[in-house]
Amino acid sequence: MLSNTGNILLIGSIVSTFLIIYFTYQSLKERSFQIKKNIIYWSFLQITFVIASFLLLIFAFVFSDFSLLAVYQNSHTAKPLFYKISGVWGNHEGSMLLWINIMVLFSYLFFVFNNKTNSAFSLYTLVVQNILILGFLIFLIFDSNPFFKILPTPIEGLGLNPILQDPALAIHPPLLYLGFVGSSIYFSAAVAAILSNSNGKNFALSIKKWVLISWSFQSLGIIVGSIWAYYELGWGGFWFWDPVENASLIPWFCMTALAHSVLVLEKRNYLYNWVLILSLITFISSVTGTFLVRSGILNSVHTFANDPSRGLYILIFLSLMIFSSFIIFFKRRINDQFNLNAISKETFILGNNWFMMFYLATVFVGTIYPIFTQVLYNTNISVGPPFYNQVIAPILIPFLIFMAVGPKIGWVKSKFITYKPFFIIIVLSLLINFLISYFLKSYNLISNLIVISSLFLILHSLKDFITNVKSNSYLNLASFFSHLGFGILILFIVLNHNFSEEFDLNIKVGQTKKIGNMEIKFNNLKIENRENYNAVIGDFNIQDFQRNYLKKLNPEIRVYENPQTLTFESAINSNLKQDIYLTMSNIDGSDFYNIKFQVKPFMLWIWLAAFLTASGGLVRVFLKK
Amino acid sequence: MLFMKTKFLIIILLIFNINLSANENIGIDTKIFKNLRCLVCQGQTIAESNSDFAQTIKIVVRDKISQGSNEKEIYEFLSEKYGEWIVYKPKFNYINSLLWISPYIVLILGGYLIFKYFRKRRQ
Repeated sequence: MLSNTGNILLIGSIVSTFLIIYFTYQSLKERSFQIKKNIIYWSFLQITFVIASFLLLIFAFVFSDFSLLAVYQNSHTAKPLFYKISGVWGNHEGSMLLWINIMVLFSYLFFVFNNKTNSAFSLYTLVVQNILILGFLIFLIFDSNPFFKILPTPIEGLGLNPILQDPALAIHPPLLYLGFVGSSIYFSAAVAAILSNSNGKNFALSIKKWVLISWSFQSLGIIVGSIWAYYELGWGGFWFWDPVENASLIPWFCMTALAHSVLVLEKRNYLYNWVLILSLITFISSVTGTFLVRSGILNSVHTFANDPSRGLYILIFLSLMIFSSFIIFFKRRINDQFNLNAISKETFILGNNWFMMFYLATVFVGTIYPIFTQVLYNTNISVGPPFYNQVIAPILIPFLIFMAVGPKIGWVKSKFITYKPFFIIIVLSLLINFLISYFLKSYNLISNLIVISSLFLILHSLKDFITNVKSNSYLNLASFFSHLGFGILILFIVLNHNFSEEFDLNIKVGQTKKIGNMEIKFNNLKIENRENYNAVIGDFNIQDFQRNYLKKLNPEIRVYENPQTLTFESAINSNLKQDIYLTMSNIDGSDFYNIKFQVKPFMLWIWLAAFLTASGGLVRVFLKK
Repeated sequence: MLFMKTKFLIIILLIFNINLSANENIGIDTKIFKNLRCLVCQGQTIAESNSDFAQTIKIVVRDKISQGSNEKEIYEFLSEKYGEWIVYKPKFNYINSLLWISPYIVLILGGYLIFKYFRKRRQ
C-alpha cells in the first residue's frame, strides 16, 4: 500500500519534471521567452510530489513499515524515534531521495526569485536543472527505489548501523546536501547564462546568494561531520584526509573561490569565463565525489550498497554532464576582457582563487593518485595526513597574509597608504608567537610561521573592524566573520597539533598507572541495560599533580544487538583550555583493557572558530542591509 | 622608527634562535603509528585502531625502536614486508613523482598567469 503510494508520487514527480522540460522547451523554441501558466503550475506540482514522497518515506520509517526494503534494511522497532527519522537518509535510497528534494527545492526557489527580471535566463536555467533532476529521478526509480517492496513483509528490521545513531550524524547529511547538491543550481544557471547570452553582471547577481548559502551549508556539514568523527570514532582526531572528507573538501574549495570571484563579476563585470568554469566544476566535483565514494572505488564508511550498475549509471550521467556543459561553454565562448590594477581588490580575489586552485589540486591529486598507480603500475599506495600536511601547510602562510590584507583593499585601484599599523600588527604577531613558544612549548619553523601569519590575520581583521566601527563607514560583517574565524581556526589547529599529548596503554580493573605528572586509575567496571544496547562502562580517575586537578571519566563499550556491533564511546571532559579524552577497548582473551588517553588543547576554540567562519555566508545573505 | 626597527630585528632573531627543529610532545612510537595504515581496517591508522593487527604492528615498531632503528628504517622495513600501502606518506620515486610535483605545477602556473597578465598590462 505504502509502496504503491510512494511509487505513484515518484511517477508524478517524473511526469511533472518531463512536462516542465517540454513546456519550457516550447517557450524557448518560439523565442517568446514567455513564462506560461502551465510551467508555473507544473513546477508547483513537481515540488509537491517530491516533498510528499519524502514525507511518506519518513512516515514509513517512523512507523516501521517493513514492507519497504529500505526500511527493513535500515531500521528497527526498538530504535529511538530520532534515529528512525535520521535513518531515512542513512542509506543509499533515502539519501538519493533527499538529493532530489534539494535539487527541486533550489530549482523552484531560483525560478520564483528570478523569473520576473530575466525570463529567458530563468527558463534556460529551469530546463537545464530539470534535465539533471530527470536524470537523478530515473536513477532513483529504476536503480535505487526507496519504495521497493518485499514480500512477505518481515516483522522486524535489520537496524541502523550504530555508529550512525548519533545526533551530529543525523543532521550531517542534510547540511552537506544543501551544500553540494545546492550547487546544481549554479551549474544550471551557468549553462543557461551561456545559452541565453546573459550579461555577466546579471548572472553574478542571480547566483551570488545561492553560492553563499551552499557554501555555508557545505561548511557546516563538514564541521558537524568532523565533530562526529572526533567523539564517535574514538581516535581523538577530527580530520583524517580520508577520501570521503576530501570529496567534500574539493567542492568546498570551488565554492570558496566562486564566492569571491563572483564579486568581481558583479562589481566590475570581469572574469566571466572563470566564474562560469567554477560554477560548472563545483557541481561536477560534487557528483564525482559522490560517485567515487558511493561506488566503493575509494574505500570509506560512506560506501553503502556496493552495486556496480549504480556506479555505471552515475558514471555515464556524469560524463554526459561534463561533456555537454563544456561543449556548450567552448562553443559559445564569451569574450571577456579585463583591466585590473595590481593593487586592487580584484587582484587579491584572484589571489584567493589561485590558492584555492592549489589546495584543490593537492587534494584532488592525493585522492585519485592511488587509483592511478594501481591501474598503471599495479602498486597500492596510501596518501594520508603526512602528505597533505607537508604540501599544504607552508602555502598557508602567504594565503593567511593575503586574507588579512585583501578585505581592506579598495576596488579598481588602491594604495597601501598605512605602513605603520601594518608593521605594528606584524610586531605584535611575532611577539605573541614568541610568548606562546617561550612559556608553553616551542614548535618547528613552519608552525612558527603559520602561527605568526594567523595572528597577523586575526589582529588585522580586528583592527579593520574597530576602525570601521569608529569611523562609521561601511562594514562587511560577513567577510569579517569568515576571515577572523578562519584565522582563529588555523591558529588553534596548529597549537592543538603541536601541544596534544597521547598515551596508549593496557590496564586492568583496580590498577593505577603513572604517566609523567599524571596518574590514571581504573576504579571499576559496570554493565548497564539501555534502550537498544548494553553498555560496559569504565570508571576512571585522571589526576594531574602538576596542574592539580582530578577528573572522573567514563568511557563505554556499547554492544548493539541489531545489527550486532561493538562501538567504543569516548569520554571527554571539555573546557576552553583543553579536552581530556579517554577511550577504552577490550582485548580478546585477557582481562586487560586497552586505553587511549589524550590531552587535546583548545578543541572548543577550533569548533567555535569553524562555526564563525561558516556563519559568514549566511550573515551576508540574511542580514544584508 | 629606528627603535622599532631594532626591536623588530631582535624579535626576529629571538624567534629563529629558539627552535629550528621539530619538537614533538608525543613519543616517537605514537608518531610512527600515526603514519601507518591499519591494513585490516577501513581507513584507520595503527594509532587509532583497536584491531589485533594494529596491536601486533605496535609491538613490532616498539621492538624496532628499542633495537635502535630510526623512523625511516622502520617504514622501509614495514613497506618491504606489507607493501607500500602501509605507509601514509608515499615515497618520492618515479611512480609517485607526479603526486608530489603536480600541486606545485598548478601553483606556479597560476602565479605565472597572474604575473603575465600584469606585465602585459604595464607595457
